[in-house]
Amino acid sequence: MKGPDLSWYLAVSAFLFAIGTLGVMLRRSPLIVLLSLEIMLNGANLALITFSRHHGQLDGQIFALSVMAVAASEVVVGLGLIVAVHRRKLELDVDKLSTLRG
Amino acid sequence: MGNFVVWVVWLVAAFSCLGSGAAVVSFSNPYYSALALIGNLGSLAVLYLLLSAEFIAAAQVLVYAGAVMVMFLFVIAYLGRHADAPWAGGPSWQALGAVAAAGALMVEIVVVIGLKASGRLSDAPDVSASFGSPYEVGKLFLTDHLLAFEITSIVLLASAVGGVVLGSHARGADEAP
Amino acid sequence: MIAAAWVCLLAPLGAAVAITLGGTRLSRRGAGYLATVSVATSFVASAVAFFSILGDPPAQRTHLSTAWTWLSAGNLNVGLSVLVDPLSIFMMLVVSGVGALIVGYSIGYMDGEEEERRYFAYMALFVFSMLLLVQSGNLLLLLVGWGLVGLCSYLLIGFHHERPAAVAAAKKAFIMNAVGDATMALAFFLLIQRTGSLSFDSAFQWAGGPAGSWAVNLVALGLLGGAVAKSAQLPLQTWLPDAMEGPTPVSALIHAATMVTAGVYLLVRTSPIFEAAPHVQELAAGLGAATLLIAGLVALVQVDIKRVIAYSTMSQIGYMFLGAGLGAYASSMFHLMTHAFFKALLFLAAGLVIHVLMGEQDMRKMGGLKRFLPRTYLAFVIGALALTGIPPLSGFFSKDSILASALAAGWYGQVLFAAGIVGAFLTGLYTFRMVFLVFEGEPSAYAREHFHEPNRSEPWRWMGLTVGVLTVGAVVAGWIQFANLWAPLSDFLRPVAEPLVEPSGAQEVLASTLAVGLGVAGALVAWAVYSARTIPVPQARAVRATLEHKFYFDELYDWVFYRPTALLARTLRDFVERPVLLGSIDTLAGGARRIGDQLTELQTGLVRTYALAIAGSVTVLALVFVWVK
Repeated sequence: MKGPDLSWYLAVSAFLFAIGTLGVMLRRSPLIVLLSLEIMLNGANLALITFSRHHGQLDGQIFALSVMAVAASEVVVGLGLIVAVHRRKLELDVDKLSTLRG
Repeated sequence: MGNFVVWVVWLVAAFSCLGSGAAVVSFSNPYYSALALIGNLGSLAVLYLLLSAEFIAAAQVLVYAGAVMVMFLFVIAYLGRHADAPWAGGPSWQALGAVAAAGALMVEIVVVIGLKASGRLSDAPDVSASFGSPYEVGKLFLTDHLLAFEITSIVLLASAVGGVVLGSHARGADEAP
Repeated sequence: MIAAAWVCLLAPLGAAVAITLGGTRLSRRGAGYLATVSVATSFVASAVAFFSILGDPPAQRTHLSTAWTWLSAGNLNVGLSVLVDPLSIFMMLVVSGVGALIVGYSIGYMDGEEEERRYFAYMALFVFSMLLLVQSGNLLLLLVGWGLVGLCSYLLIGFHHERPAAVAAAKKAFIMNAVGDATMALAFFLLIQRTGSLSFDSAFQWAGGPAGSWAVNLVALGLLGGAVAKSAQLPLQTWLPDAMEGPTPVSALIHAATMVTAGVYLLVRTSPIFEAAPHVQELAAGLGAATLLIAGLVALVQVDIKRVIAYSTMSQIGYMFLGAGLGAYASSMFHLMTHAFFKALLFLAAGLVIHVLMGEQDMRKMGGLKRFLPRTYLAFVIGALALTGIPPLSGFFSKDSILASALAAGWYGQVLFAAGIVGAFLTGLYTFRMVFLVFEGEPSAYAREHFHEPNRSEPWRWMGLTVGVLTVGAVVAGWIQFANLWAPLSDFLRPVAEPLVEPSGAQEVLASTLAVGLGVAGALVAWAVYSARTIPVPQARAVRATLEHKFYFDELYDWVFYRPTALLARTLRDFVERPVLLGSIDTLAGGARRIGDQLTELQTGLVRTYALAIAGSVTVLALVFVWVK
């Protein structure tokens, strides 16, 4: 089937990545940051799958699956951190959680 | 006719993808953000289907939208009102810098795709019907990319352990700092 | 014979190492016995070498034995060699013989001392160093021995290191010796440049050949500088009296019998070089004469018994320099040997006196010890008579042969002869002044109070025995040579050091008469002033002040050398080291710290800043990537 050229998919992927980046850098709640991070990862995944289709080989899809697995693990740890921070009655504000400074 | 359908599906999926992405980033209520993300993931699954990556699409819905987002929602529920996330107040140069960086990134990619690739990205070879099938993907995982497979499993194990540790009631974990 | 020479050299070294490694596992007395036995072994070995060398015909008595090539640099090859020839055997016998007696004496003298083992290790090391010096087969090894004896002298003078005076004296001795070492090194550099070798033969050949005379003179001057420093002659004599801070046996061995005579040995060993530079040789003789007069004069006002003997040593070595400078090598070496005996005797007997008076060395507090220590008194008097040169004791034969050679050496020699004769008078005077002050008259109050009866224990017996042997030596050592009539020693040394002057019979008689006569006169004057008290001690305030300040040499050196150097050091410290060197280091460190502080401001702890940084860098990288492609 035809449909849009692959470059359109890549454009969508680029937009998604940019949106995710904006979210990571502009939001203060770590929860939203994590969500935005997910968006970035998905954007990358889309690009990978597009290129896999472009080359006719499945390596891109394999990579995308690994990215998904890693993203899942990262979400686990990230959420665990957020819960731990919450348990210690600290504010869930990325700007305030800055004791690891030089 | 088929082409037209594909185009329509693509447009709908693409715009909902981008729209939900923007929604995730802009809502102040984390519930809405999470739900928007689920929408995002769904539209992405549709796009994957259009790209003949059936297995990936299914995995996306099952794993990502099904498991990861549920986890997110659980945590947001647990946090309750503490999860409220107003917009950033922080240094304005930061906001400017962020927008500039994101914008630059986007422009670059678009330029690359549009101009530099000189039309090569438009071709898509014909692929067999079993292109994105679980069989093909599984075969690759267990032969060429076995190492990546194993390492990914170790990463998952590590994150599981990490999650347990972070969530456990270690001494003093519940006290105020 | 070669094996005997090596055994002689290495036995004391072995003892020193053994005592050092044995530490407290070795008893204190045991260390003493070990050291004494090792030096006695050296003596036996040198005697063996002596007797076997007598079996060779006189012309073939030089044997060089090289263990291995020690230093090899370009064309310069220096071996670890031992030279066995009449001169070195002579010195070996004297050093090991007198050394064994003195080390044995130390067993008694240092008995009960806290760090006795360290003392005996140092003494054994010293004997090794001195033997290395006299047995060395080339100039470089001689310099090694030279430096090592200087080191041992420093270690032993400063033996009681908790005493600041001893430490200062040790430093002074070492530094003044270092001046001599430096001049010797410079002479050796010149030799290497001219001949490419440091062996005796090549040096002597070069000196004797048609060499540029200024180079030979410089080499001879450098050697003379070293000899003057080591033997405490003018102008480097100020360290010897201070060196009396060391224990008495040290003063006996190092600063009377052996180390200070190394300068004389050097003059005789390198005599071909000096003969090619006659003015330097005359300078050596002149310095010897000047020293013997100055030392004799200063000895007249000393109140410390050991310092009198120290100045006497300086004076007698002046005689040896006088003899070697005029070419009377055998006479100088003869005097070296007899001096070793009677000077060591005097020191050790003085040590007995000091020992029974619980460490008191001031003669004004002594007196009338004759009746407390009759045998010590006898030994002391014999030593004093030998020193003054009264026949038939040993000093008479040796000193008079030097004086006779002076008479035979032209007008310059006769001037020096006059100095030597005056010196003989002074010798009699100060020696017997010492004898009368210490032993004659009524026992002083101090003596009565502090005299502690020597017990008949074994250490005391060691001391008495060795003093007795030295007494015998002081009497008979001179009978080995008598003027021209019977000269086995001169004949023995002739192949190595051919004398430049041979006094006639008449000159011998004249010299002896004058010397003995003036010596006796000096003793009589001393008797009159200090014993019979018929003549009062002359006041002469200005003269006395000069003598008591040792002709102001110490003050002169302080002003000329020490103060400018100290000032320079302080100036450099305040204006160069602190601001420039330390300041630059401080600036560097401060700068590094400031840079670090500023860099830490990058770590804000804010995640969003880090994210922005990452995003920015990715953007830039992507740009670069695209452009490059």
